[in-house]
Amino acid sequence: MLRRYLAKRLVVAIPSLLIASLIVFTLPRLIPGDVVAMMLEEKAYAKDLEELRAKLGLNRPIYVQYFEWLGRAVQGDLGESLWTRRPVLEEIGQRLPITLELAVMALVVAIVIAVPVGVIAAARQDTVQDYTFRSAAILGLSVPGFWLATLVIVLPAIWWGWRPLTGYVEIGKDFRGHVIQMALPAVILGIAFAAAMMRLTRGMLLEVLRQDYVRTAWSKGLRERVIVLKHGLRNAIIPVITYIGTQLPQVIGGTVVIETIFGLPGMSRFLFDAINQRDYPVIQGVNLVVVSFIVAINLAVDALYAALDPRIRY
Amino acid sequence: MSLTRRELLIAGGLTATGAVILPSLAPAQQPKRGGTLNLRLWDPPHFDLHAAGGLSYKLHIPMSFTHGRLVRHKTGPSVTPGTFQFEPDLAESWTQPNDTTYVFKLRRGVRWHNKPPANGREFVADDVVYTIKRFQETKGHANAHMLRAVDKVEAVDKYTVKFTLKEPSAWFLDTLASPMVVAMVNRETSEKLGDLKKPESFIGTGPWMLDSYRPNQGMTLVRNPGYFIPGLPHIDKIEIFVDEDNASRTASFLAGKYDLGWEFPGQINRTDWVQIKDTLKQKRPTLKTAEFPANVMSHISMRTDQKPFNDVRVRHAISHAIDRQGIIDAVAEGVGVYNAAVPAALKDWAVPVNQLGEGAKYFKHDPAEAKRLLAAAGYPNGFQGTICFTTYGSTVLVDSTQIILKNLKDVGIDAKLETKEYGAYITSCFYGKFDSMTYGPQTPFLEPDSFLYGQYYPDEPRNQSHIKDPVLADMLVRQRRTFDLAKRKEQVAEIQRYLAKQQYYVTTNSGVYVAVWDGALHNYGPNIGYDYGGRLMAAWLNR
Repeated sequence: MLRRYLAKRLVVAIPSLLIASLIVFTLPRLIPGDVVAMMLEEKAYAKDLEELRAKLGLNRPIYVQYFEWLGRAVQGDLGESLWTRRPVLEEIGQRLPITLELAVMALVVAIVIAVPVGVIAAARQDTVQDYTFRSAAILGLSVPGFWLATLVIVLPAIWWGWRPLTGYVEIGKDFRGHVIQMALPAVILGIAFAAAMMRLTRGMLLEVLRQDYVRTAWSKGLRERVIVLKHGLRNAIIPVITYIGTQLPQVIGGTVVIETIFGLPGMSRFLFDAINQRDYPVIQGVNLVVVSFIVAINLAVDALYAALDPRIRY
Repeated sequence: MSLTRRELLIAGGLTATGAVILPSLAPAQQPKRGGTLNLRLWDPPHFDLHAAGGLSYKLHIPMSFTHGRLVRHKTGPSVTPGTFQFEPDLAESWTQPNDTTYVFKLRRGVRWHNKPPANGREFVADDVVYTIKRFQETKGHANAHMLRAVDKVEAVDKYTVKFTLKEPSAWFLDTLASPMVVAMVNRETSEKLGDLKKPESFIGTGPWMLDSYRPNQGMTLVRNPGYFIPGLPHIDKIEIFVDEDNASRTASFLAGKYDLGWEFPGQINRTDWVQIKDTLKQKRPTLKTAEFPANVMSHISMRTDQKPFNDVRVRHAISHAIDRQGIIDAVAEGVGVYNAAVPAALKDWAVPVNQLGEGAKYFKHDPAEAKRLLAAAGYPNGFQGTICFTTYGSTVLVDSTQIILKNLKDVGIDAKLETKEYGAYITSCFYGKFDSMTYGPQTPFLEPDSFLYGQYYPDEPRNQSHIKDPVLADMLVRQRRTFDLAKRKEQVAEIQRYLAKQQYYVTTNSGVYVAVWDGALHNYGPNIGYDYGGRLMAAWLNR
């Protein structure tokens, strides 16, 4: 049944990807004004307007352009960056690991903080611990990541003369330096998500802990740890997993600011620079990769959801 | 400019007799070789000086480390910021047989960086010819006016280049010395790679060479062991960081990561400076500072070829409406300078506003007089207009613009702000494609001609206000043909007095830079302009 369910989800994902690819392809072409003329004047991407239009394939009907672009994209050819003159996929390949590493680290930070804290807050409802954790969560939700990042960078420099951990250290050259450098932005990025995730975990767990079967477990004399973690959390965690899946695009979106502040050459910052450079093949390519990634993550979340809750499969 | 043409020619003549003039870089103390200088700069759009987008300080600054010019500006602690004297660079001497001919004798033994495809080949006269022609052949070059006077450039022999000008151009040497115009580029590299946009094409004759480029992160420049001045540069490595976040830059500077102020040209914005100067006294007590006016000048451009701006009374009214001191107080911590048509930063050429004669009065904030002038011009209730604008990512500029809008509103001019994305702004409003008004900073040139001829002569790309004034055009051409420095200074002053009366552009204030550098950096003198490399060539580090 699980296979059939996954096959159905996969089939549904294909039109989603096609629609997304159409949007990704069309949007840059709807920008008002003669963008190509602007690209030529600002960036000299070709000798003249005609050459640039031909280079971008804009001298053909739009549906032809779309199907050609899609056909190449399916084969892994996202074109060439006008700015760096290198294949877009190669450029993305260099930067995507940095963004993914940051996003995954941020999610891990969020999960490591949120789930235990949410469980304790739920298990100790209306105690000092619960109020403290809930207040901290509201604070975490209220504080913008860029502000926190700024404080984390500036204050140690003022107080102790510490150099900020900005600029990228390659993992192959200095593993320890790399981890230390990535940890701070990941923690900052993870805090806001941890706050929301903690509140959700607490709320869902409280709901589950009021169920009859939990009361039965208590009456059987089971230990609190077993009731909360085995019988309670396993049921409460399903919406949290869904939340993680839906939040991943937000985490990737958040990396734009964090990558800029910490000088990390990730994909988000590359997209930001590509927009400034009017590098449309890169803009399209990065967006397509991000969209595909999000669809894949949602598919994975659905699969996990189905694995955790057999009712979903039927 | 403190050298007269005569002094200049004598200098050139002396060198022609065999006495090679080396740049005036003799330090007072014994220099120390080695070390790494850390700078915060910007990521260049690409590496081709002549291609569109290459007209950017983001490229000009790194290029000042790696590329040479025929003539350069003197640098060092003895140079007063805002003043410029010539000295030989790739040319060891020059003569001017007549008003339209310049002959340059090149240094022998100058070599391109020892990287393929140049491979340390000798720099010769053909390279100069190639560079100048490449510049001239670039279509729509925004700085085309700077070399428009050049009719012909020829290699007389391997080490002699002859420039023939279409007309006398007293600013020709200034043009050649400008770090934003004619850095010499390598022919083989351009031909092999198709253009000079890639980092591997960044090959020059300068004191440092590009070692590595990391997009969006920075670049490393290393000492050129084959540099033609023996012993220079003293600093082994220049580490350039791209740092797009001001908090990060501030923290990095506080912690000693950068050796020069993080903003152009090695300064700290006054608003930041005021906040951190006390902390810096504790954290970096040996820091050195110098203050001098910025040559970045903003102005309001107007369609002076159309109503209502074709009426001089309207332009006077706008100038009276602007509260320049109010802007300085609000956005520059009360420290700033007023600008005539030539920015006050160019000390040898700018006329102080209070010495502009009859036109000086239009720089006074006088809303009542502005209203009277508008009424006299037939606009008793003011008029509506637009101001084309881009933020340049500067909060100072945005705040100034808000004050200007309010000032105009106070006298009845209801100007709607039309904010454009930077690229759209540059390709339209910056080049005069707008309907009403534009406000923004102008390119910070180092000589007055670019501010005057470039912005006021009919049909020049930078003539944003669409000025067609035959009297002015004649004055602009005449100063270009006057080689006598004293006479030219008077002509330039006269033009500024004339322009103060016309108010074709309503200039606002410039800031006063706080140049900051690490105490370990010796024999360094800050100045305006992009020539970081020139200013650091004879500097050394003693950490």
